Amino acid sequence: MSNDLRGLNDLDRLIHEPARLLIVTILSTAASADFLFLQREAGLTKGNLSAHLSKLEEAGYVKIEKTFKGKLPLTVCKLTAKGQKAYTAYRQQMQAFMDKTS
Amino acid sequence: MKDETSQIEQRVKRYWYSDGIGEMMGGIMFFLLAVYFSLQQYLGDESFIGGMLQAGFVVLLIGGVFVARRVVNIVKARITYPRTGYVEYRTYNGNAVWMRILAALTAMTVASISIMVARRFDSIDSMVAVTGVLVAVILMVKQAWTSGLGRFYFLGAASLVFGGILSVSGFARGYNLGLFYALMGTAFVISGGLTLKSYLRENPMPVEAGDE
Repeated sequence: MSNDLRGLNDLDRLIHEPARLLIVTILSTAASADFLFLQREAGLTKGNLSAHLSKLEEAGYVKIEKTFKGKLPLTVCKLTAKGQKAYTAYRQQMQAFMDKTS
Repeated sequence: MKDETSQIEQRVKRYWYSDGIGEMMGGIMFFLLAVYFSLQQYLGDESFIGGMLQAGFVVLLIGGVFVARRVVNIVKARITYPRTGYVEYRTYNGNAVWMRILAALTAMTVASISIMVARRFDSIDSMVAVTGVLVAVILMVKQAWTSGLGRFYFLGAASLVFGGILSVSGFARGYNLGLFYALMGTAFVISGGLTLKSYLRENPMPVEAGDE
């Protein structure tokens, strides 16, 4: 069991956080999504979502583009290739851990 | 975890159908098909316009789908995106494109075989019967099953019923197809309209401007 648990140490902590995992999962399905959609789907406050997106952007997992839709500001987020790779690796690691422990 | 991830993925995909706008546009497309087949029946294959209509069917269909997608995006930009947010869906990669081509070829083969079998029964309009089955299969498998939205099962069932009844109605083939598409168009517009009404009630326009 201890060996199995040790596998969790290798998990990407940035993605492992529940709110960020939710954000990354949503972005892995869509090509891109705006701030409002992410906020509604993830059920986060604006400040909370901004903080998580900033961390993901700093790690190079998410690209954030600030544009305008008519006169309204629009923040569009998309998963980068690095982010997609990290998410895929995370899912594989979690799946392997679940298989071992179940 | 896999189940939860699948649920999130399905919810993101289902978002496209949440406002009913695509369905209403689909209904309008069905009405246009109804006009096309009825007009072709009325004019006959020998007339110049009838011949042109027949020859240009694929171009009209592809052009119609292209215009419909543009219109849906414009309407969504005004109604949906300011209320519940904007999502851009992934374009299909090489494998997905081949899967779609394979699915289309399979559907065409099944349709051809079904028409050949149905032609053995003189009293049945094979074309409208097969169209009803094909539209039902597309709605039930592609739309209802993948998106998890139950209303597409009802639309698929409606397609089976309309196709079945019209196949023994005794009308001319073009009018039969026209009537089938008109009925399906009505079903789609009603379904889309009710979905849009519910969506607008649940998601009023936010007072605050902008997204951040």
